[in-house]
Amino acid sequence: MSTTCGKAEALRDYAFDELPAIDRPEMERHIGACPECAAELDQLRLTTAALRILPDREIPQRIAFVSDKVFEPSPIARFLHSAWAGLASAGLMAAALIFTVLHQPAPQVRTIIQSASGTDVTQQVTKQIDEAVSRAVQQAHAQDAELTKASLAEAETRHQREHRVLMVEMEQSLEYIQKRLGTMTSLTSSMEAPQNRGGQ
Amino acid sequence: MIFRAVEDADLILRVQKGDIEAFNHLVSRWEKRVYNYLLRLTSSPEDSLDLSQDVFLKAYQNIRKLDDTARFGPWLFRIAHNEAYSLFRKRKPESGIDECGVAEREAAPGASPELRIAVSAALNRLNPEQREAVVLKVYQGFKFDEMAEILGCPVSTIKSRLYTALELMKVELAPAANGGRGIR
Repeated sequence: MSTTCGKAEALRDYAFDELPAIDRPEMERHIGACPECAAELDQLRLTTAALRILPDREIPQRIAFVSDKVFEPSPIARFLHSAWAGLASAGLMAAALIFTVLHQPAPQVRTIIQSASGTDVTQQVTKQIDEAVSRAVQQAHAQDAELTKASLAEAETRHQREHRVLMVEMEQSLEYIQKRLGTMTSLTSSMEAPQNRGGQ
Repeated sequence: MIFRAVEDADLILRVQKGDIEAFNHLVSRWEKRVYNYLLRLTSSPEDSLDLSQDVFLKAYQNIRKLDDTARFGPWLFRIAHNEAYSLFRKRKPESGIDECGVAEREAAPGASPELRIAVSAALNRLNPEQREAVVLKVYQGFKFDEMAEILGCPVSTIKSRLYTALELMKVELAPAANGGRGIR
């Protein structure tokens, strides 16, 4: 003890608020009159103040309990709890069902059907296109055939006409040649006849 | 403190009737104090958290044995004290807890690093009983009779430990604190 005053322990009790209330006024009067106790009190207060510069830390993880068999609830409490739990469970299931129905993605079967329909449409369109193209090609071929046939017929007609013209021209030419040959033969004969009469 | 005690008494009665939420509320009111008490004893945040959980579990299991709800604080810290010393004995069965010290802590805003180091060093120079007496009185604010209940010692022993500890520390800390370095 650094103080030799006989009230040292009571002074420390006073410093830590452990002195009975009835004794406090007397101690306060003593402190005012005793410099040694006043200095001791001052040092105690400084020391505790220094200690308190290290503050409490926050707990890094909260502590909580969920259940324990030590405290079994009463049967009524259990019934109420189970009833509420049942209602809550039913409510949760209903909510889950509604949510599922409202937010369910397109059923797979439906997707498959949609997918199959899509395939049919594509095939049908492709088939129709193919048929259309085929018909167009056939029409084109038919038109070409008709055009070719017409062209051939026209060419034949033209050929026959030209052939007839040529034949006529040839007949006329032949007739002309024959006439020329006849004329020449007549001239030749006429020229040979005077010579024969003069040589006799 | 009076309101706190009244609310604690109400919560304790509810817990004794099986209200778990009341106990969780009670835990939330005391967990920081218990954790810091254990942290100042063990210097280990991990050990202190584990011990805190064990303390509240034991409190939960035994709270129906608590007759005087006004003594909940000392009763709870008695459990914490026993859990801490059980750990110390497990860790150091021969040497006890003499080597346990006070971890370096962040000082309060405005306090100088020198004073923080001086305080930690002064606490570490105390023996475990003296240190625990300082922790319970200065940091936790228990009365002597409550400390006696927690530590299982007579009040006279508690006072002796505390005042001896303060006598040792004031030589260093009072001048440092009086130098205007960050207290009051």
